[in-house]
Amino acid sequence: METKKVGDKFVVPIGPQHPALKEPGHFEFTVDGENVTGATIRLGFVHRGIEKMAEKRNYTQNLYLMERVCGICSHVHGLAFALGAEKLAGVTVPPRAQAIRTIIAELERIHSHMLWLGVAAHEGGFDTLFMYSWRDRETVMDLLETLSGNRVHYSANVLGGVKFDISDKQRDEILKGLDFLEERNHYYLKVVTTDNTFLGRTRNIGTMSHEQADILGAVGPTARGSGVQRDVRVNAPYIAYPDFPIKMVTEEGGDLLARTKVRIIELFESFRIIREILDHMPPGDLTVRMGRRIPEGETISRVEAPRGELIYHIISNGTEFPERVKVRTPSLCNWSSISSVAVDHKLADMPMLLVGIDPCFSCNDRMITVKRENSSDEMSWDDIRKIGIEYYK
Amino acid sequence: MSTILPILALLIFPGGLFLMASGLVYEYVDRKLVARYQNRIGPRWFQPLADVVKLLAKEEIIPHGVQPELFTLLPVVGLAGALTAALYVPLFGFESAYAFKGDLIVTLYLLSMMTLCLGLAGSNTLDRFSLIGATRTLTQLFSYEAPFLLALLGPALAAQSWQINEINSFSQAHMPMLVTQVIGFIVSMVGLMGKLELPPFDAPEAETEIVSGALTEYSGRGLALFRIGKNVEMVIALSLVSSFYLGGLAFPFPGMSPVLAGILNVLIFLAKTMGLLLFMAGLQSLFARLRIDQTVGLWWRIGALLALLNLLLVIVLKSLGVGGYWL
Repeated sequence: METKKVGDKFVVPIGPQHPALKEPGHFEFTVDGENVTGATIRLGFVHRGIEKMAEKRNYTQNLYLMERVCGICSHVHGLAFALGAEKLAGVTVPPRAQAIRTIIAELERIHSHMLWLGVAAHEGGFDTLFMYSWRDRETVMDLLETLSGNRVHYSANVLGGVKFDISDKQRDEILKGLDFLEERNHYYLKVVTTDNTFLGRTRNIGTMSHEQADILGAVGPTARGSGVQRDVRVNAPYIAYPDFPIKMVTEEGGDLLARTKVRIIELFESFRIIREILDHMPPGDLTVRMGRRIPEGETISRVEAPRGELIYHIISNGTEFPERVKVRTPSLCNWSSISSVAVDHKLADMPMLLVGIDPCFSCNDRMITVKRENSSDEMSWDDIRKIGIEYYK
Repeated sequence: MSTILPILALLIFPGGLFLMASGLVYEYVDRKLVARYQNRIGPRWFQPLADVVKLLAKEEIIPHGVQPELFTLLPVVGLAGALTAALYVPLFGFESAYAFKGDLIVTLYLLSMMTLCLGLAGSNTLDRFSLIGATRTLTQLFSYEAPFLLALLGPALAAQSWQINEINSFSQAHMPMLVTQVIGFIVSMVGLMGKLELPPFDAPEAETEIVSGALTEYSGRGLALFRIGKNVEMVIALSLVSSFYLGGLAFPFPGMSPVLAGILNVLIFLAKTMGLLLFMAGLQSLFARLRIDQTVGLWWRIGALLALLNLLLVIVLKSLGVGGYWL
């Protein structure tokens, strides 16, 4: 192995395989001692070609495919796809189904944010908080399993409604679980805002100003941590959010502490809204009939995933198969915030900074067209293979 | 016979093999305690042994670009340093095997050999994680070493001796220095954690940043030896702190049968060191990892000052003639 140097600088590679990363990505940090002087990001190690796959499957099959875009926020992906398809088909989903969709989406947010808290604590070397938050996260995982039978891919959506109802017994279980989780999260909020060692790793680290967050197009808790009012649930309410409005949680700090606080305080909103919906569950059907063929047209559906705004662009050609499905996941918008604030931080802050946006690698990896001089834009399989072999030689 | 006994004492019991085995036990207790504090189940009792056996059975890979002799020698030297330090420390209820004036300083330097070897091992390779890990290891060495030394000098000054067994008998006869020199005790415990690179002072081997720090390129035998060396160091350092601050080890128990006295001493040793380990495991699970700049800042701004204050108090009180049971 040779020590790779760029100029006189020392480059520390993180990834594609590295203990800090749960998914493959490649980051090169130029360091001067412990100080980071430059950062580059390279993605694309887990491109799965899901958008292409979607063109070969009908809408019902695609619903299951889209749930597998992300292993953490599986529900919102299915939801965004179903919302788009239903909008094209001109179908209105019954209110009870919309309420159940909202409950699952919020439960998913709880599980995702608690998972994030654990990962962030682990990156900061605070394993006790990691273990505790993941232990308590099991409560919400169990709730989701009680409702759907699955811990990760709940598969709650069908085109035109939801698959299962929430019985009174399940309702009581959810309420009980929420009480426990609320109490625990008050405790975690206290820990992250008062523990001096953890504050030392989050306060004034990765500070992104309001303007920066706005210009870089940050979304979700990353943007809200910098005081940007950006939450699809409030800006453009969908499913049951118009009837059960949510209060946007923002913090002004812009640093990792602010993002942590946004994520935890957001959970209290989630607890509140789930309780409210469960108290005023609209009666009625769970599904409405929807044809296999979707009329010609195109649409955009936006939902607020745990990581931020998720956009689905569906183009239909009037058949059972979509012409094009374009997914824009929230992580993609937040990457630039890392490379722009990484400089002048310590190397030890880098894992925390990476995790600060709650990145999801596999859902934002996408096809890149390689354009070289003296070559056409179109490349054959053999050409791509050759480039690949040459690149890694 | 007279030549065999010292050799046995050196290689089998209480030094050598027995010390290494007990190091594994202490590692197990530490891991289990931290796991329980973190609400995990933790490892089974033989896990540290299984880890070492597995590592010893594996191929040792010597990467390109290192000096092979140094690469293989460093773990041995580190372990040898730790084992040699054991000679001057009262271990497992026995009095220290050897003693001379000033052996406290020698012991401390022998214990630092391990850290030096780690630093050298890291800088010997071309791996970037190892290099950064080595830099951090050595930076940490310079930050905790002085306060740790000062914290152990407090008892030495109180006992008016630089010899470990004399300080030990002094603390047997007096009020435990845990009470009289609280600051020194805390500084020495935290210094010990820095020395052993335990959380929150594990920046030199922070896995989420630099994989495994200086040891990233080590595998098989070398890694196993480094791990054993660290465990041995933990046992020795815990004994040192308990003999200084917790009222001494290896009591003579005049008028008692040697066997009974021996058993009592072993129990006292276990109670005191394990008590310290319980305290240390608690500290390990309480905090988030400190960045290396935070570690250095903590030690020089707070640790060193506190240790100096402790020393100053001891000196002033001693010169004022305060003594008797208390000092």
